Amino acid sequence: MTHLVFPGLHCYACPLAVTVCPIGLLQNLVIAGSIPFYLLGVLALYGLVLGRGWCGWFCPFGTVNDLLAFRRAKFVRALSPLKILVLMGTVVAAWRLLDTWFCKLCPAASLTASLPYFALGLAQPTTPFWIHMGTLAGTVLGMVLVSRFWCRYLCPMGALLSLFNRASFLGLRIRREKCTECKRCSTACPMGIDPYLEGNSSNCIKCGECVEACPHKALSLSFGFPGGSGFAPLRFPWVRSGYRGISAHK
Amino acid sequence: MVFLLAFLFWAFSVQAEEIRLVPESPENLGDWAKVVQAFRLYPTPSRSVRYEGPTLATQLWGDLALGQARYALLLGVTPQNAVELYVDLDRDNRISPGEKLSGTRVSGGMAWTVSLRSEPLQGSSFDYPLQILWPEGRGYLFLVGGAVRAGEFRGRRIALVDGDLDGVFGTKGDFLAVDVDGDGKIYAEPDGHERFSLNEPFTLGGESFRAEVPPDGRSLRISSAAYTPPKVPLIPGSPAPNFTFREFQTGENLSLASFRGKVVLLDFWATWCPPCMASLPGLLELYREFHAQGFEIVGVSLDESVEDLRRVIASYGIPWPIAFEGKRWDNSLANLWRVYQIPTAYLLDKKGIIRFRDLEADALRKAVSELLSEPVTLEAPAPAPSMPEVSLRPEPILELRVPKETGIQEGKAAKVSVRVINTSPYLAEEVRFSFPDLPPGWEVEVPAPFNVPAFGEREARIQILFKGPAGKSLPAAVRLSVDYHYCIKDACFQMSQEEKIAFVLGASPERALSLPWWILALLAAGVLLSWFLFGRNLTVLSFVLVGLGVAALLFGMFWGQARQSQRIASVLCTSCVGIEEARAPTAEIPAALLSEFQNFPKTAHLMVFYTLWCKSCPYAKALVAQIASVNPRISVELIDADEKRAEAEASGVIRNGKAVVPAIVIRETGEILFGTEDLAPRILAALREIP
Repeated sequence: MTHLVFPGLHCYACPLAVTVCPIGLLQNLVIAGSIPFYLLGVLALYGLVLGRGWCGWFCPFGTVNDLLAFRRAKFVRALSPLKILVLMGTVVAAWRLLDTWFCKLCPAASLTASLPYFALGLAQPTTPFWIHMGTLAGTVLGMVLVSRFWCRYLCPMGALLSLFNRASFLGLRIRREKCTECKRCSTACPMGIDPYLEGNSSNCIKCGECVEACPHKALSLSFGFPGGSGFAPLRFPWVRSGYRGISAHK
Repeated sequence: MVFLLAFLFWAFSVQAEEIRLVPESPENLGDWAKVVQAFRLYPTPSRSVRYEGPTLATQLWGDLALGQARYALLLGVTPQNAVELYVDLDRDNRISPGEKLSGTRVSGGMAWTVSLRSEPLQGSSFDYPLQILWPEGRGYLFLVGGAVRAGEFRGRRIALVDGDLDGVFGTKGDFLAVDVDGDGKIYAEPDGHERFSLNEPFTLGGESFRAEVPPDGRSLRISSAAYTPPKVPLIPGSPAPNFTFREFQTGENLSLASFRGKVVLLDFWATWCPPCMASLPGLLELYREFHAQGFEIVGVSLDESVEDLRRVIASYGIPWPIAFEGKRWDNSLANLWRVYQIPTAYLLDKKGIIRFRDLEADALRKAVSELLSEPVTLEAPAPAPSMPEVSLRPEPILELRVPKETGIQEGKAAKVSVRVINTSPYLAEEVRFSFPDLPPGWEVEVPAPFNVPAFGEREARIQILFKGPAGKSLPAAVRLSVDYHYCIKDACFQMSQEEKIAFVLGASPERALSLPWWILALLAAGVLLSWFLFGRNLTVLSFVLVGLGVAALLFGMFWGQARQSQRIASVLCTSCVGIEEARAPTAEIPAALLSEFQNFPKTAHLMVFYTLWCKSCPYAKALVAQIASVNPRISVELIDADEKRAEAEASGVIRNGKAVVPAIVIRETGEILFGTEDLAPRILAALREIP
């Protein structure tokens, strides 16, 4: 099982882990000087099936985020590229410094490796342990204050999957004729986005909370052919006009 | 035409003389005729060899090659704690009870004597006597041999030694010993004036000769060579070769001869040499005591760094003149005096005659005091009876593995990975790479000097750029020179090894371009397109992306990346995920703790589980190597947890499918120590648990 990649942020060092964390593997492959065809191929397929649906439905650290999601807050768009920077920093650090720096800071590793190993007596409370505890504490605080804080702004795994979110077969669909723009979906969204405007965008984790919340059954989550129904004009991601089109399934 | 050919045949044949060599006992020649080499043992045989003898509690295997003949060696410990050595004498890949050698207990270990047979690829096979020594508690042996054979050339003794113990004469490391001065004794220590490498001419009575050696070493074909001045003897009783130098601190030009009338200690040293630094306070004391009576020290520093030397001179207050060239072992004075290890110190009398070499502190004080009271006589004293003994010959300790060939394109940098494996129980220090004969148009970037711990490994990457000019033929290979030094007790040896890196012109560097980059490029382009076309129907694009994803996945699997991923994921390196600190590959145990290890009274065997990419494993390996070096009762075995998974599983190092490294298992109790935090005290505590 250990050669299987699971597209969620988890630490392979966790005593219970049976799969590889894609970010850990990516760093090790970069350090080893390999061009990660296998990993990128696997991630492309995972991404094309569910997109960030993996974050919404399967990611173990996403579950921790959900358990601590006491306060919904509006998504701060300016912070959105942070996770891409984390991903790039992770790869560059592995390439230039030949070390798995992200793993040494990763809060998922803190929770599922450092703490269990400490509890089992296999690790001592040394500097790396306290660094892990620091990043875990910071992340937990963020998660308590802002729902899905880690997934929104910092997760490099989410950044990788978000690349495929728009072309994935699992998608959020809106029936515009039923939508009254009541924004109940926005209130329910743990990522703090407006699903009726930004469904399937890079920050939509396709968790289905909005579908539940919509009183008019205007939203649905289903597998289908990716992309819009053809009515939407060509849209550039950096142009944020008043256009309200979203990616919708046929 | 026939006459011309006959003349040429005559012309060539008269210049070469063939002499017969017969096996000779090293005792009749000198200590130099016994070559000593460390021989590493492994927990499993390198090929399929079956052991059919009585049960052994521990087995350690080695594979000894003498020409084409390969002998499996098995060092076993019986349940009764007796140490036995088996050699597959009939080479049938089965070790039977009859192949046990009868050994004798010697101080600090066991010794066996065996006569094997070497089979060179060309030439006939010959007997190869070997003495095998096992330092108690260690995972390696010392082989003592050299199959020395001797003959006579123009009335002088000449001997041939298989210096690399490979069972073939004429290979690198083999040497000739010639009694050039005809005194009946051959000085063929590594810096002896009567020792010659096989490509080095020797001079007898004003005429120089070169020897050709057949692989079986039965004869020597000796022909005339261009005149080469004979080597200056450095034995006690010989005049010291003079040299001039610029004093490091004052800039004054001095010569060794200018110290005539004084007793001079010529000291070859360096600030990076721990034994040299350890002897410095003693020398300062000696200098202070005898300088006023006419004692002088001339230091020849083999340092490279001016700052290091300046700092040491200032902090110790060294008052004597020092010669410094900043060229380490390329120092011209060290070459003149054929210095191959430091510290090396010659004591010269008031007439400038070499009287003693490498004296210990008390003996040095006595000798200086005696020489100072000697009157200056015109006659040189008779040579001292013998050279000081050198317990071990300097041998290369690194194994270099370079790729079979490297693809290179004009103007494009190619990266070559060289694996450096230390096959010895000694630390290889300041390993440096260089290319001595790189043709014009080439540029190389070599890694900074590094150390390789005892039995450790390092991978070094060299960047090579071939700039052209276009159309110019590429050399088939370039020479890579690897220089380093290592210390055994108080002696440091400088070594230089060579490997060839072969190139294929036109082939892409490391086959990088032959990889289907386009799959990843198209995948990236598709992802980018999906962002631009957001809101439109992306069905076709998504299916194309699926196809590209499958292609990348299949190619990765074909290329072994699934296996690579499995290997990475099935080993947990505790420092890689920040469970503990990554530590430098050197370990220094505090003296108090080290003495506790030294006095540990029981026998213990430590199994160190490691993997190649584990950051803290070199530290764990260095630490246990240091522990084992101070106590022969503690033995060490290094086990690659990735390669020897079954062994890791049996030892309990595998936790939930993952081998946790570094891990040290105490074989006697089965206790496992994970990680490197407080490792030395934890090992000591675990050792004390041994009943």
